[in-house]
Amino acid sequence: MRMRQLGLSVMVGALLFAAPADAQRSAPLPWQEDPYPSRYQAPVASDMLLRGATILDGAGGRIDGGDVLVRGGKVAAVGKQLANPGVPEVDATGRWITPGVIDVHSHDGTYVLPLTEIDSEASDVAEVATPNSADTWIETAVNAQDMAFDRALANGVTTLQILPGSTPIFAGHSVVVKPVRAPTVWGMKAAGGIQGFKMACGENPKSWGADDDNEGPTSRQGVIAYMRQQFADAQRYKRAVEQARAGAGAMPPRDFKLETLAGILAGDVRVNLHCYRAGDIAASLGVAKEFGFRIGAIHHATEAYKIPGLLREAGTCAAVWADWWGFKVEAQDAIRAEAPLLEQAGVCVMMHSDSPADGQRLNIAAAKAAAAGRRIGVDIPPERMIKWTTGNPAKLLGLDKQVGTIAPGLQADLVLWSGDPFSIYTHADLVLIGGAVAWDRAKPPAGPVSDFELGRGGARP
Amino acid sequence: MFVSLIALTVAMPAAAQTLAVTHAEAWTMEGDAPVKDATIVIENGRIVSVAAGGAAPADARVIDAHGKPVTPGLVNGATQIGLVEVAGSSDTVDTSSADDRNPGYDVSRALNGNSTLVSLARADGLTRALVYPSPSRRAPFNGEPALARLRDGVDILDVANVGVYTVIGGGAWERIGSRAAQWDSLRNALTEAKRKADGPPAAGGKKDRKRPSPPPRGGPGGRHGGEELLADVLRGEVPLAIQTHRESDIRQAAALAGDFGIRVIIVGGAEAWRVADQLAAAKVAVIVDPQVNLPFNFDQLGARQDNAALLAKAGVMVAVGQAGGVIHANYNAGMGLREGAGIAVANGLPYVEALKAVTVNPLTIWGCGGGRLTPGADADLVIWDGDPLEPSTNARSVIVEGRETAIRSRQDQLAERYREVR
Repeated sequence: MRMRQLGLSVMVGALLFAAPADAQRSAPLPWQEDPYPSRYQAPVASDMLLRGATILDGAGGRIDGGDVLVRGGKVAAVGKQLANPGVPEVDATGRWITPGVIDVHSHDGTYVLPLTEIDSEASDVAEVATPNSADTWIETAVNAQDMAFDRALANGVTTLQILPGSTPIFAGHSVVVKPVRAPTVWGMKAAGGIQGFKMACGENPKSWGADDDNEGPTSRQGVIAYMRQQFADAQRYKRAVEQARAGAGAMPPRDFKLETLAGILAGDVRVNLHCYRAGDIAASLGVAKEFGFRIGAIHHATEAYKIPGLLREAGTCAAVWADWWGFKVEAQDAIRAEAPLLEQAGVCVMMHSDSPADGQRLNIAAAKAAAAGRRIGVDIPPERMIKWTTGNPAKLLGLDKQVGTIAPGLQADLVLWSGDPFSIYTHADLVLIGGAVAWDRAKPPAGPVSDFELGRGGARP
Repeated sequence: MFVSLIALTVAMPAAAQTLAVTHAEAWTMEGDAPVKDATIVIENGRIVSVAAGGAAPADARVIDAHGKPVTPGLVNGATQIGLVEVAGSSDTVDTSSADDRNPGYDVSRALNGNSTLVSLARADGLTRALVYPSPSRRAPFNGEPALARLRDGVDILDVANVGVYTVIGGGAWERIGSRAAQWDSLRNALTEAKRKADGPPAAGGKKDRKRPSPPPRGGPGGRHGGEELLADVLRGEVPLAIQTHRESDIRQAAALAGDFGIRVIIVGGAEAWRVADQLAAAKVAVIVDPQVNLPFNFDQLGARQDNAALLAKAGVMVAVGQAGGVIHANYNAGMGLREGAGIAVANGLPYVEALKAVTVNPLTIWGCGGGRLTPGADADLVIWDGDPLEPSTNARSVIVEGRETAIRSRQDQLAERYREVR
């Protein structure tokens, strides 16, 4: 077996050298294809001029008494005393405008409340039959009727990445959605970003592996070793596919797990890694370095503040909480000041939720983190804090040319807040997605929004 | 030198220190507005005076509040701090009894003031908390909650056996089944306790009203609370706390309060707003999590964030507890409480009512009193650097029983250790 592969690779190598570069690029490689294309239809946009607000642009800029002109679904201009080309004006005096909030770690649609017995027996949060669920696509499980989407929208969220859970080491493909009403997730799916993927290290996968009758590693070292072996297999698979594409040798039979991991190696699929301890993060970054790919973000990353240099060098972001800590041993050293410390150290940092409750209040999480920073003398101003929930997450999702900052030409995903977006008393007055009013607090929907709520009565945002 | 130090220590125990907080925006919880530029004088663990522009005693240690808010110490109406260290590791969790033989579980015997959860909560301005037991094997009762006082050190017990705690709802007790059976079980237990308390009919047809004197609460030897404390519940001396959410169950709870003439507290109460008027009439108080706007289970389909506002408007006494659900109710028992109260305000609860819901009300509901800045009151207070209900605000000083406590949490220490790491 080994001999045959070796012989094949030598022969194919010679042919590959001769193959024209164009042939390799002409058709997308298997892992570049999306088997579940978006059916999102941009709603009809409303042109408007938001006048006289405090603007945090999501890129570090702040304008007091500034205006935003929205035309044709995009931001047409940002500045002071903009001329009105004849669109309705909104008096935003005393209010604040930011880009729409982006939550890069949601389980909405799969961790659907209310939970029932079926969720404890067989949950859709992750496929746990094996530690390698790299062939799964979470979107094939998402229930678009989860009312958590409506709650998120009413609180200023305009983009969410739904990730699989952290039981498998390779947990599967993510999906990025807009919280708009649609009968299926594909009507919500945002296009144009980079394909996301979930991996996990540490206590979750090893605890599952250690449970009776479960397949999988039972220790941290076992988890890392498992990752290396899978990536080594994927390297061979990727080479075989590329060589076959170049006209040398037969295309290997489709193996969706190896295909996905090959996509990670190729940089076409971006890893979101669930990882807590500094040592686990360092070991995982080591695996990425060994196999020549970049991890997009370490999620949870409760000890990233101990190793900012490693993250900076790897070009890997940290997606963090403000105040989840202690609920398991590997989260004992979490600190509320993590985001400001990472920001100060020059690491790309963002808030994330992991929860339909906290996903409604990511700016409040940022406020808590900043307060903890101030306690130890690290003061981050609002125009930088807002990057944690807007500009930086957009980069992770590969959507920064579309959303995440307020700049001419970008999609008008905006929130008009009733006041300081970091205050507990502030409401999202107006939420625009692609320039269309997706939520207007002055005109809340008369009845329930999701199918689930219909006819049950009572529940309100 | 050594001798004179000892002499000083004897002459001036820490609690006897006179403390004055000056230039405070003092939220006394007496009126709807704070006392501006207040001077709060504290002696022997008690507040002596709160007066606008008042003078600090000459011998007092003075803390200048610089015009910032000063509130009574915050009180969490329902949490499990002191019983939990690492929720994911059951060997560090003491929330419930697995003893089939014993109906009582007195949480006060497990309280651990050295827990990192406690010190963080204190740093967030929490000075007291109701600590409740999780469901035991011995239905219908979980055991007896206790009130903790978040002073420095391991001993954080304030008052033990402050009530009896039970849980009713879908799936709450798999062994008993339907909530109908759960209510039956609870009613039967109360009826049986009433019969025991009343005693057997004496010869000649007269009831013997004499009962043995109750043993001291929380004292050595314990009370096997379940049964003994039920007598106190029936006499209205301590409340029966029912953790439940569905409207039909909350109506059952209100009816139970009337039928037995007992004090009932609802903990949770996601659909309590639907029953607000009946709860007000039955004087049933509700401890709510104002953050809840999604139903965790089918008992909470009516969850909405103006629950607290609607209840308060109807005249129901409301406190905040279990704030932030499974993630935050224990691990951020102080911050979750403040955030919850802030959300209640954002959803219609008047500001001063929200402050009451995290100070006076929980203490009143659990029958302990206090939670105000008034002469003679316990000196539990917090000096803030901004609005205490804003999560961006830090507590500057937390005073428990007249003493400034340590509020540099383990998290602060870790953050400081790595502050300059690049």
